[in-house]
Amino acid sequence: MFAIKKHIILAILFLTPLSSIFAQITVSPEGPISSIKEAVEQAAHGGHVIVKPGTYVEHDIIIDKKLTLEGTDQPTIDGNEEGFIMIITADSVTVSGFNIINTGRSYTKDFAAIMLEKANDFVIENNRLDNVFFGIYLAETERGVVQNNTIQAYDKREASSGNGIHLWNVKNPKISNNHVMGMRDGIYLEFVDDAEITGNISNDNNRYGLHYMFSDGGRYYDNVFRRNGAGVAVMYSDNVDMMNNLFEHNWGSSAYGLLLKDINHSKIEGNRFYRNTVGIYSEGSNHVHIHRNDFELNGWAVNIKSNSMRNRFTENNFIENSFDVRTDSPRNNNEFDGNYWSHYEGYDLEGNGIGDVPYRPVSLFSMIIERQPESLILLRSMFIRLLDTAERIMPVLTPKTLYDENPKMNRIS
Amino acid sequence: MIFRIFLTISAAVYLIILAGCEPKPQPINYGSDGCEYCRMTITEPGFGSQAVNNQGRAYKFDSVECMAAFDLTNENPENIHSKWVPNFLNRDEWVEANKAVYLQSENLRSPMGLSLSAYADRESAEEMRQEHGGEIIGYDQVKQIVEREWLSNGNIGQHTHH
Repeated sequence: MFAIKKHIILAILFLTPLSSIFAQITVSPEGPISSIKEAVEQAAHGGHVIVKPGTYVEHDIIIDKKLTLEGTDQPTIDGNEEGFIMIITADSVTVSGFNIINTGRSYTKDFAAIMLEKANDFVIENNRLDNVFFGIYLAETERGVVQNNTIQAYDKREASSGNGIHLWNVKNPKISNNHVMGMRDGIYLEFVDDAEITGNISNDNNRYGLHYMFSDGGRYYDNVFRRNGAGVAVMYSDNVDMMNNLFEHNWGSSAYGLLLKDINHSKIEGNRFYRNTVGIYSEGSNHVHIHRNDFELNGWAVNIKSNSMRNRFTENNFIENSFDVRTDSPRNNNEFDGNYWSHYEGYDLEGNGIGDVPYRPVSLFSMIIERQPESLILLRSMFIRLLDTAERIMPVLTPKTLYDENPKMNRIS
Repeated sequence: MIFRIFLTISAAVYLIILAGCEPKPQPINYGSDGCEYCRMTITEPGFGSQAVNNQGRAYKFDSVECMAAFDLTNENPENIHSKWVPNFLNRDEWVEANKAVYLQSENLRSPMGLSLSAYADRESAEEMRQEHGGEIIGYDQVKQIVEREWLSNGNIGQHTHH
């Protein structure tokens, strides 16, 4: 009797994986199962649903068990502008290879094309989302992967656009190689721990290409942030590493390549800031090391408020920015050392590649603008150049201790 | 007689000019104006708030909580003429901050994470509370919440972790 029981258990153990392979369900517009919702309901735990090409008008598809949902040749799920399109509430779900279009819109509900709620270990990949309110929405999830998706919307009124990839209360997400455009924020993080964000392109979003709020740890690298309404904002977060990203063409009165607000103990390395109103704007941020970045052709390369302290700028290239550094106080609590400044007019008699006189990156005129923004109109005037030169020789208004003692003579490669 | 008419007209003109000078809420350019307190670009008309000073200059905020924080930390409060919040149910309508009724509801999340929305009257706030849950409060309590969650804490956000 005991032996038979053992055999049955063994049989079940062996048959379970087989049964889930056989539990493949195919959805096609003309087939016996023509609705994704129905297929998901019928699928076994751990099952596999294959969706054939066609257009499926469906919304609020609830996936509450472990499942792989796979589109062949990019079938379309059209939400018909009603509610969510997919809501995933179980662990280990994969959604791959769909066009997902037309979510609902609401003032009070964050309708998303793919909503993940208290779901862990998922993979969302190779989907194309179009005309969506929110794109992929992660709420209280852990260890999910979102990769190779394209997300696009067209609403220029920020009120009716949501975020492309939205993360709220998430741990260890991996967001890679996605392309997000035309949303409110391309990628938005709120209360996220240890995010890994890499290889994404986020452009032409209404507000930020990437937006950190209250999210500690983790890093973002090798991303492109271009022509976003206000650039990228990293706010109220600690220990975030930002490496090898491109921040470019972010123009506007409150637009910054990178806005740092209350950031502590972080690293900004190997990035390129090209043609932004302000490359990096820093307020209330401390212990940030800005190392080996390129700042080129920005209005201001750096605008650092005096409430930012013990930040270090080392071995960066400052190339043809209208202004190198702007600050709001004659006191300086930050360090600039060994950078290359294209505006440096000093000399190197020793020939060691380091200028013999320090470089003062805060011009008098940039202090005047800080107090009197309208004076910007005088930018190219002869008088201002004379004042600037005099101030460099004998600093009166500009921070006396804000200088680079070891300015490099040549661009750092 | 003519002098009297002249006097009346000039008095009227004077009044109109005076009325025109009364500081009042200004339009927010969503997507380009930055928040005076947290520096974030203001994008959501349901939450964008403002404080207008006696010279008619508007300090704009992305959320009710940022305006309250500004209010609490402002070193020159006597120069603030009035404070305005948007009616969450009619986003073009400005309601005076002290008269507005607020709902703090986890299900109506505001840009800075304290989940505060404002209403013109108690009835509509109550309707929203029945639909979305939460607690109805006044502006003084809004300030208490901001004081507790942000200012006394020294670090915005860490406290509101879920």
